[in-house]
Amino acid sequence: MHIPDGILPAQVCAAGYAITGVATWYSLRQINRRPDPAAEVPKASLLTAAFFVASSIYIPVPPASVHLILNGLLGVVLGYFAFPAILIGLFFQALVIGHGGLTTLGVNATMMGIPALLAYHIFQSRDVVGKVLPEPTRTGVFAFLGGALGLGIAALIFLALIIFNIPAELNATAEQAAVLTLSVGHIPLALVEGTFTAMLVLFLRRVKPELLEG
Amino acid sequence: MRLRFKFAWLLALALASGTAPALAHGVIVEHRQVNAVELEARFETGEPMANAQVLVYAPGNPTEVWQEGTTDDQGRFSFTPDTSQPGSWEVMVRQAGHGVLTTIPVAASTSGGEPAATPATEVEAGSNSLISPSTTLSPVQRGITIGSVIWGFIGTALFFARGKR
Repeated sequence: MHIPDGILPAQVCAAGYAITGVATWYSLRQINRRPDPAAEVPKASLLTAAFFVASSIYIPVPPASVHLILNGLLGVVLGYFAFPAILIGLFFQALVIGHGGLTTLGVNATMMGIPALLAYHIFQSRDVVGKVLPEPTRTGVFAFLGGALGLGIAALIFLALIIFNIPAELNATAEQAAVLTLSVGHIPLALVEGTFTAMLVLFLRRVKPELLEG
Repeated sequence: MRLRFKFAWLLALALASGTAPALAHGVIVEHRQVNAVELEARFETGEPMANAQVLVYAPGNPTEVWQEGTTDDQGRFSFTPDTSQPGSWEVMVRQAGHGVLTTIPVAASTSGGEPAATPATEVEAGSNSLISPSTTLSPVQRGITIGSVIWGFIGTALFFARGKR
């Protein structure tokens, strides 16, 4: 779902960098307000490695083929660390694996990072919104929602970016059909990532619950 | 998804001013063999990029599309560059927001209807040798690079997990 170089016009790339800059500043400020800002760096670093590798894991969803993103998972588990983690992960993906590109780094970070922050807030609202559910179910359901919606919103942003930026010389109908096919392929992926997030969060809750207090 | 391209350069053995008229009820068919470029677009997974849109740009005119088309089921597309415009031809293959802009060197045509002089790397003894983009890393190099990056992340985690001194 990474947007490579040369697909988007320069204004969109610049806007992506601007949004990424603001979001990074805001996330780092939130992190810096914690009593010990470095305490969560090991967790964030390991999940950045997971994010970096995840995009090489392909899942065939006929007729398309999608790969894991894990941005919702990072949001749920890392909180505000998710945005810098995704930015760093995307930078190395662009350089090493060739997913995405340096000009579209800002756009891609916005596309995956902002939904990750939303996923964090969805997960954190579990004690307010999900009072009716008993405790392990509540955490599991909200982790699932965070993981699935984080990816789903990112896929919608991707769809919108591509559809509104089809160059005039391309056959727009064919390109729209192709993008829609690919986006529909992300619905099962959202379920997979949501389930994966719920499993990981429930595991952490049992083994090391202090990791989830973001 | 990153794309990796392989180009099969088909060298046609053009005969000197090779026209061969075929006459039948006033219909004249002349043929001449020319240099064509065939390209094959695949996703990183090896899956062919079928029915992707292809835009060809002539050198020196990056804003106007010279030729457009779509790849076939195997992700293949071929076109015949105009050898009177030597230089770097640019080909954009794109589908569903995935795509790549690649450059194909085309040499100037020589006089006398000879086939266009082709870059040295292009063809060996008229075979369909494939030319990959030069930036492609070997699987070992890729593995080492990816491994180093992952080790960097793990190292960072270990450094910050070392506890208070």
